[in-house]
Amino acid sequence: MEVVFKGIYKRYGQTTAVHDLNLTIERGALHFLLGPSGCGKTTTLRMLAGLEKPSEGQLFFNGVDVTHQPAVERGIGMVFQNYALWPHMTVLKNIEYGLKLRKLTAGEIQKRIDEVMSITHLKQYADRLPGQLSGGQQQRVALARALAIRPNVLLLDEPLSNLDAKLRMEMRDNILRIHKQTGITTLYVTHDQREALSMGTQVSVMHAGHLVQTDQPRALYSFPKSAFIAGFIGETNLLDGKIVSCDDAEAVVESPVGTLRSKRFNQTFAKGSAVTLSLRPEAVRIDWDKSGLGENYFKAKIDHLTYLGESEQFQLNTDAGLTLKVNFYHAPEHNFLEGDTIGCSIAADDVLVLPTQKEMGPRT
Amino acid sequence: MGQKHLADTKAQGTVSAPEESSRWQRRLADGIGYGTLIATLAVLFFFLVLPVSVIMSRAFIKDGEFTTQYFPLLFSNELLMQAILNSLYLALVTTFIATIVSFPLALINVRWDFRGKGLLSGLLLLPMVMPPFVGAIGILRFFARRGSVNLSLMKLEWIDRPIDWLGPDNMFWAVVVLLVLHLYPIMYLNLSAALANVDPSVEEMATTLGVPKWKQYRDIVWPLARPGYFAGAIIVFIWAFTDLGTPLLVGFHETVPVQIFNMITDVNENPIGYTLVFFVILMTVSFFLLSKLALGGKKYEMMAKGHVSSGQKRAGFWGSVAIYGLILSVVVTALIPHLAVIVTAFSDKWFMTVLPQQYTGEHFKQVFESELAINGIKNSFFLAGLSTLLDIVLGLLVAYVVVRRLIPFAGLLDSLVMVPLALPGIVLAFGYVVTYTGTWLDPLHNPVPLLVIAYAIRRLPYMVRSASAGLQQMSPSLEEASTTFGASRFHTLRKVTVPLVTANLIAGALLCFSYAMLDVSDSLILAMKERFYPLTKAIYVLFLEQGTGELVASALGIIGMVILALCIMGASLILGKKMGELFRS
Repeated sequence: MEVVFKGIYKRYGQTTAVHDLNLTIERGALHFLLGPSGCGKTTTLRMLAGLEKPSEGQLFFNGVDVTHQPAVERGIGMVFQNYALWPHMTVLKNIEYGLKLRKLTAGEIQKRIDEVMSITHLKQYADRLPGQLSGGQQQRVALARALAIRPNVLLLDEPLSNLDAKLRMEMRDNILRIHKQTGITTLYVTHDQREALSMGTQVSVMHAGHLVQTDQPRALYSFPKSAFIAGFIGETNLLDGKIVSCDDAEAVVESPVGTLRSKRFNQTFAKGSAVTLSLRPEAVRIDWDKSGLGENYFKAKIDHLTYLGESEQFQLNTDAGLTLKVNFYHAPEHNFLEGDTIGCSIAADDVLVLPTQKEMGPRT
Repeated sequence: MGQKHLADTKAQGTVSAPEESSRWQRRLADGIGYGTLIATLAVLFFFLVLPVSVIMSRAFIKDGEFTTQYFPLLFSNELLMQAILNSLYLALVTTFIATIVSFPLALINVRWDFRGKGLLSGLLLLPMVMPPFVGAIGILRFFARRGSVNLSLMKLEWIDRPIDWLGPDNMFWAVVVLLVLHLYPIMYLNLSAALANVDPSVEEMATTLGVPKWKQYRDIVWPLARPGYFAGAIIVFIWAFTDLGTPLLVGFHETVPVQIFNMITDVNENPIGYTLVFFVILMTVSFFLLSKLALGGKKYEMMAKGHVSSGQKRAGFWGSVAIYGLILSVVVTALIPHLAVIVTAFSDKWFMTVLPQQYTGEHFKQVFESELAINGIKNSFFLAGLSTLLDIVLGLLVAYVVVRRLIPFAGLLDSLVMVPLALPGIVLAFGYVVTYTGTWLDPLHNPVPLLVIAYAIRRLPYMVRSASAGLQQMSPSLEEASTTFGASRFHTLRKVTVPLVTANLIAGALLCFSYAMLDVSDSLILAMKERFYPLTKAIYVLFLEQGTGELVASALGIIGMVILALCIMGASLILGKKMGELFRS
């Protein structure tokens, strides 16, 4: 089912939790809503479920206005962050509950229970109480319970945040598999950008109540629309800059590490305008042989070295007092020490020029 | 909108949301639910707001016109002014002594760990279930002119003439002692909770800064514990201020409750009764607000919890001896009146000796032969049972509506159901008589409905507190999950919410039941025909009887105490540490 948010606002007294939200979730998508805590993503999800009423705007399911339809009539399957399993009911009873409300025949109920239990690998736990299950199993029960009613839309509210790292990886695959099998339109809320990038077909980023960008994961990482997104999706170094010249092919920017050339920008900037540069830590190259050559060459002092096994992280300090992070996978053997000065370069393709935005304040 | 629009063709083609028929059922369920809610509000209006309003209005109306002329009459009435002063003084002294008794106990409870702590802490609560007016019977026996205490002292030749322990000058203190021994557990529970809420790390921090211990108590522990202390203190204060049974039995008649009790009979001739009751409401409500707003001060949220137990020190041998000594001496003292009742109930020939010369179970037999006593037990079970059922329904609904903020002004409803804590039982009973005399609810005709409602309304705060505690601990997402599946609010309430707060409901119900069983003021005032006398009124009437009445009253009192003790033990088993939360304002 296609879900459309149109000009949705949610206000709590003086504060606006969600600001002019316009978003389309395509039929059958696994759509991610990503943002730091307090950005309004859970409020958005709860409005979709009908648990909160928008202060303004409309919500459409397949083109039909459901803004004022109560939660009980929307046919939503929801997995809560804390799972919200009913502790006094067995796994079976938990799953059965929504089905019984639908007055289905006993046979149909049994069929659906079998179906979701096998999808979520829960068969042997039918008679257990939630308290007797591990975190991962509880998570699967919550998922099974939501799936059993064959919802129009499946809502997942930070479903993996209570699991440990290993289990989280496993459940990611599980959710992807189940989504593929059922094809249910799914909205997945998370603050974990790795989850969103690795699983989502579409990712919407929210910040301080505003929807700031909706894109495919790759586009989001490579072409973030703002410094906030660049910083939130993956790690980056943000530098203030000033446009020296800019044409269709290349922009020349004055920055604290010297003049940088960029081939990565989405708009033309006027000469002298203030911009923000985003340099991904893994895009910066180090002049290991002290050749002094390279695109966008500059010098910096090593403040701190962190060896992480598969990678090595350099924290650099430039003359301008700017701290840069640089990551290397497969760094060559080297004998640089903290305090040494090294040469760095970065390809013009990796220098992302973004318009400088005033920091979005707390929700207004 | 129709379901057809919703069904996603791709989503396996079947119905996802509940069908039309269940939507109709849901409406019905919602209707019943909201109907009950409206009935609840109506009960609160007719049996809490209205009676109080009637009293207020009558205090200001003469021959249909507004007047304040009754107040000078009240203030110039020496007896009544003396009664007000006595009651205030009584409440103040009781609260003060209860604080002194319970502070060290609470401190020990929070800061020290020792063998048998659970048992001793439980014993400390025991006096709470010992109705002081029953204890009064025992005290009267022991401290009579020719009672056990005087006789022992004379035997020891410490005194040569009997001391008039219960003479006019000493009655005040007899009531104070009985009330302190009954009410200190409430203070103890609140102080313990308040002190336990002070994270030991804030004190440790002060210690590392070199702040002396007494300064830590003054500057850190006290400000943090203060709201909890006053929440308990005001309950004790109002309880002592308005307790009818104890002063009535001891014979200390110059107190507010006894004066109001005496005025009920000529209520329609003498408007000064309304004025007195109005004045009492004014005072209790002011004290209540004063304690909440001014004295209690701001409530501070503690940042870190869960380290509280780490602040407990293990008591050494001598420490344990001191702790045991203190706790046991308090418990034993508190139980003396009731031990006295037991001795009285089993006594056969008891004249001019320290202890009875012979013991007998005869008085218990008389209890079961007396129609008055048997009816009393039956009536009390019936009335308390019904009122408890009413409390469960009202309390659960009110708590649900308030905790989940389902109606506008939910906070107002919450305050309204807490009013009975500040409203003396005698005032409510008085209001019922005034409001409903001459209607089909007239207590002269049949007091059962009003008794049930009076019992229920007065204990409603405990039930609401108990249910709220459970609801607050329950994540709302458990209910929301049910809603997303298409369950109506009241289907969810029945299937999800109630099963999860059952323990709280049972505990609250046990408390409501116990206190209704031993209610004095409503029972004495509203039960006007012998056929309807509850247990407490039966005890009172038996006590007033000549001959062996006092002994049978004691036996009946013991039966009541046993029932109550069983209920409270049940409640504390179920509620555990959360017991204290029920006795806060």
